[in-house]
Amino acid sequence: MKTEDLIRALAADTQDTRPMVSRMLMVLVPAMAVSLAALWLVLGFRADLAEALRIPNSVARFALTGTLGLLSARLALVLARPEGRDEVRLWPLFAVAAAALALLGWAYVTTPADGLEMAVVGKTLTTCLVTIPLLSILPVTAIMWALRQGATTAPVLAGFVAGLGGAGLSAAIYALHCTEDSPLFYVPWYGLGIAGVTLVSTVIGSRLLRW
Amino acid sequence: MERQSDDWEQLLTAANAGDSRAYTRFLHAVSPVLRGVIRAKSGGLGEASCEDVMQEVLLAIHLKRHTWQAGLPVRPWLYAITRYKVIDAFRARGRRIDLPIEDFVDSLAADPGPDPTEAADMAKMIGMLEGRSAEIVRKIGMEGASFAETGKALDMTEGAVRVALHRALKNLAALRERHVK
Repeated sequence: MKTEDLIRALAADTQDTRPMVSRMLMVLVPAMAVSLAALWLVLGFRADLAEALRIPNSVARFALTGTLGLLSARLALVLARPEGRDEVRLWPLFAVAAAALALLGWAYVTTPADGLEMAVVGKTLTTCLVTIPLLSILPVTAIMWALRQGATTAPVLAGFVAGLGGAGLSAAIYALHCTEDSPLFYVPWYGLGIAGVTLVSTVIGSRLLRW
Repeated sequence: MERQSDDWEQLLTAANAGDSRAYTRFLHAVSPVLRGVIRAKSGGLGEASCEDVMQEVLLAIHLKRHTWQAGLPVRPWLYAITRYKVIDAFRARGRRIDLPIEDFVDSLAADPGPDPTEAADMAKMIGMLEGRSAEIVRKIGMEGASFAETGKALDMTEGAVRVALHRALKNLAALRERHVK
């Protein structure tokens, strides 16, 4: 086949040119809506949600996980472009992690010594470590699906931000149910849940996002 | 060739909005540049094989053209996609190459010559498509048939031909991936 002929065939095909942003939103928004609905139906929102939104430590949970999720989803869009690998900046993610660790340190020094263990172990550890990954499945899949339509030249990093994005957003959703307001609980355990999902997603991305 | 290298952004913007003619011009404008880079890197691979690589790259550009973000420059996007695919294509042919982005800037656009070399791989891949898809790609590409004519010949609606062509091009890329692995 002559290149001229190929160009003619390519030029005739005007289908499927929607930009990446709309591709991602089209799947990520429904995926999050399903995760939210599932949480509400199965576990329910915490009864004191309105009051909890006035407790700074509780609000910080939404802020940290939500910011992490949105930043990562944004980075996924940058990485979906082939030249994005050279533009992507990861320091905002480290800034969120540093803020979480600072909050953890501050909670450690301000919590009375005899209450430390109780705060760290909490009452809902298992639920937390099971639910965050479960809620992450759809959002992570959505970001991964969008990235597959992209043209990333950094599949491992793209898999990483897909996991971090989906898990971060899902942790924010889970926080609507969870009553553990102490950073001593949520920084390590939400963190562990998010890290586990991100690890799996990185491995999957390294295979799935080549093209 | 006309002087048109300055408005790749405009051409691709129009192309992504569905303007076939702008898209043809875009592909014609970028082809010599890509060909130049590929030939410079080929290390005696031969013109026909270079043209095979070139067509793989064009197919990839086509299927990923929505990943160019309007408003950003086209060149970094184009070079990144080409680099990824050229390295991949040479690896599939048992060669490891190094292709820094600066090479794109330095490379001279290569004219295909009076009678552009016929490349073999794409035709082979088209032959591996399901019969009707292959027919659609051949009619529209090689014979230059319109959607209406192709539809008439194959007893399909114009819309169905459009969808089928898009699917066929996606399958071509997928076939090639499998072929390599």
